[in-house]
Amino acid sequence: MAVAFSSDSSDVINRCLGISSPSKTSSDLVETVYEVPRCVEWVKEHNFQRVALQFPDCLLVDATELTLRIEKETGAKVYILGDTSYGSCCVDEVAAQHVTADCIVHYGRSCLSPTSHLPVLFVFCCRPVDVEHCVQSFRDLIPDQHSRVILMSDVTYSASMNDISTRLSQQYTHLVTSSLNIPDSKLDTESSTVNSTSRKQDSPNQHSQVISRFGRTFCLQADTELDSYSIFYIGEESLTLTNLMMAYNRCTFYSYNPEEKNCRKETLNVNKALMKRYYMVEKAKEANVVGIVAGTLGVSDYLTMINNLKEVIKKAGKKSYTFVMGKLNVPKLANFMEIDVFVLVACSENTLIDSTEFYRPVVTPFEMELACNSCREWTGEYVTDFRELLPGAPSHVPMSEGTGEDETDVSLISGGMRRVGLRDEETAGSTAVVKRNDVLTVAEVNTGASFLQSRSWQGLEQQLGETEVSAAVEGRRGIAAGYSHEPGAGGDKEGPQA
Amino acid sequence: MVNFTVDEIRNVMDKKKNIRNMSVIAHVDHGKSTLTDSLVSKAGIIASQKAGETRFTDTRKDEQERCITIKSTAISLFYELAEKDMDFVPSEGKESNTERGFLINLIDSPGHVDFSSEVTAALRVTDGALVVVDCVSGVCVQTETVLRQAISERIKPVLFMNKMDRALLELQLEMEDLYNNFSRTVENVNVIVATYSDEDGPMGNIMVYPEKGTVGFGSGLHGWAFTLKQFGELYSNRFKIELSKMMKRLWGDQFFNANTKKWAKTPGEGYIRGFNKFVLDPIYKVFDAIMNFKKDDTAKVLEKLQVKLTTEEKGLEGKPLLKVAMRKWLPAGEALLQMICTHLPSPVTAQKYRMELLYEGPHEDEAALGIKNCNPDGPLMMYVSKMVPTSDKGRFYAFGRVFSGKVGTGQKVRIMGPNYVPGKKEDLYLKTIQRTILMMGRYIEPIEDVPCGNIVGLVGVDQYLVKTGTLSTFEHAHNLRVMKFSVSPVVRVAVEPKNPSELPKLVEGLKRLAKSDPMVQCIIEESGEHIVAGAGELHLEICLKDLEEDHAAIPIKKSDPVVSYRETVEEESDIMCLSKSPNKHNRLFMKARPLTEGIAEDIDRGDINARDDIKTRARKLADDYGWDVTEARKIWCFGPDTNGPNMLVDCTKGVQYLNEIKDSVVAGFQWASKEGVLCEENMRAIRYDIHDVTLHADAIHRGGGQIIPTARRCLYACQLTAKPRILEPIYQVEIQCPENAVGGIYGVLNRRRGHVFEESQVVGTPMFIVKAYLPVNESFGFTADLRSNTGGQAFPQCVFDHWQILPGDPYEDTSKPGVVVTETRKRKGLSEGIPPLDKYLDKM
Repeated sequence: MAVAFSSDSSDVINRCLGISSPSKTSSDLVETVYEVPRCVEWVKEHNFQRVALQFPDCLLVDATELTLRIEKETGAKVYILGDTSYGSCCVDEVAAQHVTADCIVHYGRSCLSPTSHLPVLFVFCCRPVDVEHCVQSFRDLIPDQHSRVILMSDVTYSASMNDISTRLSQQYTHLVTSSLNIPDSKLDTESSTVNSTSRKQDSPNQHSQVISRFGRTFCLQADTELDSYSIFYIGEESLTLTNLMMAYNRCTFYSYNPEEKNCRKETLNVNKALMKRYYMVEKAKEANVVGIVAGTLGVSDYLTMINNLKEVIKKAGKKSYTFVMGKLNVPKLANFMEIDVFVLVACSENTLIDSTEFYRPVVTPFEMELACNSCREWTGEYVTDFRELLPGAPSHVPMSEGTGEDETDVSLISGGMRRVGLRDEETAGSTAVVKRNDVLTVAEVNTGASFLQSRSWQGLEQQLGETEVSAAVEGRRGIAAGYSHEPGAGGDKEGPQA
Repeated sequence: MVNFTVDEIRNVMDKKKNIRNMSVIAHVDHGKSTLTDSLVSKAGIIASQKAGETRFTDTRKDEQERCITIKSTAISLFYELAEKDMDFVPSEGKESNTERGFLINLIDSPGHVDFSSEVTAALRVTDGALVVVDCVSGVCVQTETVLRQAISERIKPVLFMNKMDRALLELQLEMEDLYNNFSRTVENVNVIVATYSDEDGPMGNIMVYPEKGTVGFGSGLHGWAFTLKQFGELYSNRFKIELSKMMKRLWGDQFFNANTKKWAKTPGEGYIRGFNKFVLDPIYKVFDAIMNFKKDDTAKVLEKLQVKLTTEEKGLEGKPLLKVAMRKWLPAGEALLQMICTHLPSPVTAQKYRMELLYEGPHEDEAALGIKNCNPDGPLMMYVSKMVPTSDKGRFYAFGRVFSGKVGTGQKVRIMGPNYVPGKKEDLYLKTIQRTILMMGRYIEPIEDVPCGNIVGLVGVDQYLVKTGTLSTFEHAHNLRVMKFSVSPVVRVAVEPKNPSELPKLVEGLKRLAKSDPMVQCIIEESGEHIVAGAGELHLEICLKDLEEDHAAIPIKKSDPVVSYRETVEEESDIMCLSKSPNKHNRLFMKARPLTEGIAEDIDRGDINARDDIKTRARKLADDYGWDVTEARKIWCFGPDTNGPNMLVDCTKGVQYLNEIKDSVVAGFQWASKEGVLCEENMRAIRYDIHDVTLHADAIHRGGGQIIPTARRCLYACQLTAKPRILEPIYQVEIQCPENAVGGIYGVLNRRRGHVFEESQVVGTPMFIVKAYLPVNESFGFTADLRSNTGGQAFPQCVFDHWQILPGDPYEDTSKPGVVVTETRKRKGLSEGIPPLDKYLDKM
């Protein structure tokens, strides 16, 4: 304790912050990496006037250069969107609406979730793959030429996919290549707004199955099941890979990292990961108060999902609150101590959160459904894309109509008993005069109030009768940014900037 | 056997003073079940149509195979006391002198330590206990445990000295030696009774006295038994002495001179101890005559004892003849049932003093009075002590005792689980009882309703209770106190289905298993592992077998057994630990140190409780443990789960807004103490002192989000700086064996890090008792190992005793605790190695 409670202020000034800034792309490469001509053509073609360019943090360095070029060539007003409120893989429509942009160009890695309002152009900023090395690694890892393999890649390596695929398919007869299914801009496909994600359909080619999930489409060979395939993924370890592994949890995964040029069989024990998620489901079953956290404002149908969740949670006899808080972090969520579990509605890649550091667990909509909907069974099948849970989608399971009876279940977390299903509100409901019981006075209040009751500090003391009575006076008007009586304030004529 | 219709049984149930609820308790292999059999064959009630079928107590196949009782079983007996004996029954124990029929609800309990939770459940629903002791080996560890439990539940004991046949036939003890054996056992039992009870207590003096008839002697196997009353009656006529005086002559230092016909208090020439002369001598004569094939003597002796044999029986000789003769002379059922009816309390007597221990609510409310007066017209108060599987898969009978009012088919009741708090809705269900049934061994019989003082089974309640609970019709009823077990579930295995898609079946099975056993814990850990935790290897083995064969009915993969550890600290933190909130505007300064020795155990026992009055608790901590009173008054909370053996103490002075962040710090403490920093095991015996706190002036910047994670980090930093250690559970092992096997025991114990702390010879026998401490972690396969090293002569009993620091530094990879930490972290899927201190500790 020799060091005093405060430290020398010069420390702060001299402190070196360890942030490695990504290097700028040299100007002659910008044209190709960012596919400027394609952008310009797209903007011109649709005659967009206000264009928003969305960058992930790592590409933000090139933003100015790109803006200048596009502005110069198209003549449209260009805005830069950085520091997305949610995952940078999702299109930030709300930010674009702030500048009333009429289209968005999304750069970098993308989760390929469809958007709801604005036309979007995806530019993946493709990176090169050493095709020769990749093909060789593939051969080393999967020597059996008859094995069934699905080839997938991170979006940033999608350009090289064709090349690799053609070279491999000569030897590997059972190779299936997935193609990217880029969400179309809203201009031409009005019909594809809802549930366009996961469709299993019979393709013209008889008996073969087309699977389209997470923006990737592939066509299984005739009379084969997905379970019999293994998946070869090109790209470094990322949320995309985790997401794919969870979703296709019965397939063996191999991954090739083009940056480090190494190839390996994924050893992450999916079964173990699933067991961990099962624990989350149990936690969710235990919860009385659920916080629904909006983790996206871009993915289409997110509002439908939130409303759906509210319904499901209510039917399960739990209470829900909805939160919008941008990117999640521990302190933000810990501010709401009365919430027992949070559900994060986000794109499929951001939905899986390791919440061990969080005060309360964060679960996916699928897990919440499992916990609340007794008709849904845990089969080992895992759904990361919430849109597959919506009515009409393949994984939708309607809620059971409650019988009105209390259903109960043994909790394997607390070892106690817990209720499932709708609880009968106010069972007695009698109007008879009952003797007032002091112990019971707080009995039937809502969850929020009973939480307050359990707190030791319940707010400032009322000091009833100790404050002098005074006449009411007119208070301030306006918003905190500038009240109407303050000099120089713009008054309250206008709301927040559009 | 008595043949009764349900209506007749129902009639007897109303005569509450003529009811005896009792359990048979003892050390393993002291002969409870065998003894129970002789009682059942004498007086067991069987519904008329079931007559002829037998084997009441062995309800499970594996119980028969292993020759060990696993589950406790209830049987009802009906016994009509002889007219002359009615006078000996206290007035509260009989409706009237003419009402001579007694309904005895007997529960046979398992003797193996691993199943002692079954004993606890049995004791809760009974008022008296028949303590069975093998007169050769005397009072053993489990005898003491169950007796202690009985007394703490205010269960009145009577004693039975079993296996006299062994003493006479195998050991050929002299009369005086046998007497000494008996007297020593009685003395030992009374020492235990005296230690755990209070003579001025509400039960009065509950020690056992042979001369008062509260001690029985005999052989359950051969089916004969007596109390001194039987012999007293025999001689009181002859000597023209009052029965009670005669009985006094038959025990203790009372010596008789056959020549002078005088009694003396000291042995002298020609004087023989009364017990030897009048009780043992005739028995020895019978044994001698029959076993040595002295035909004439046999006939003479038997005639003298007025034992009449059938012609067929007269043809017998040796042991079979001995059994028949003894059974005819001193029928076990008669002596025991007399003792039970006379000396064990009726529900009316017992509930008067048991109410205050049973009921959590105010002692004057309707429910309390109903229990106290055993009032069938009061509100229903019933305690469900265990769940009994039915033939219907996944469904259970709720087995329990009605303490007040009546419970009946179609009645609407409040079902209150252990977490029910009056006025809240949690753990409370209002439901109708589908069916009320009588449970007789493995048979059940529907019955309309059952009044207080009786034991009953219910259908349709099992869905709302896990293991135990309270049923009531009284709206403001509090819970009946939950049972306290003498064993803890310290041995765990992780289970998973062989076929991953059968996980839901496994989960369903685990839920059923959790219900069917009073002690087993089935939990899912954060790692997703499904854990089954039991008291010992045998207990787990049985549970897993049930899970695999009955409850889940799927093939299961089991991990090797593991023990759960605890995290603690050895010294005070060597630096003041500071953690800053995420916004850097709040600072917490704390230190950790070991909790004063003994407090953790006190908290476990409930002697120091989170809900105690602050001032009395502070007084106790100051007086018993030398705490500073002002600090002791500022204990913020216990943890984990708000009642665990760790404390958070506020040692700050004049910190502004401190009360506002209390809830947040407490939440962080509950979180951290549940998952310690070393390997996310519970913490134990750590005291955290908050030394200083600086807070942001705006409330929004010191909200839960800022404080909870910070408190957790700070607590972890404290733990890491206070010499963190791993605690492991330790069994107390008691091993009984002949002298030549003692060497082998030492060898096995040494190999398994055990150490002997007591070794003694059982006086009068060649048997030795070795007591030792053995880490639970080393106990797997111990029994088998011990047997093979002692030629099968040693039999151990392991009970969880205490937590002990695993010597060594968890930071050293090769040390024992280091290995434990690494393995546990790996199993839980945590990052490798103990997290570094700078992750939690902030610089100024």
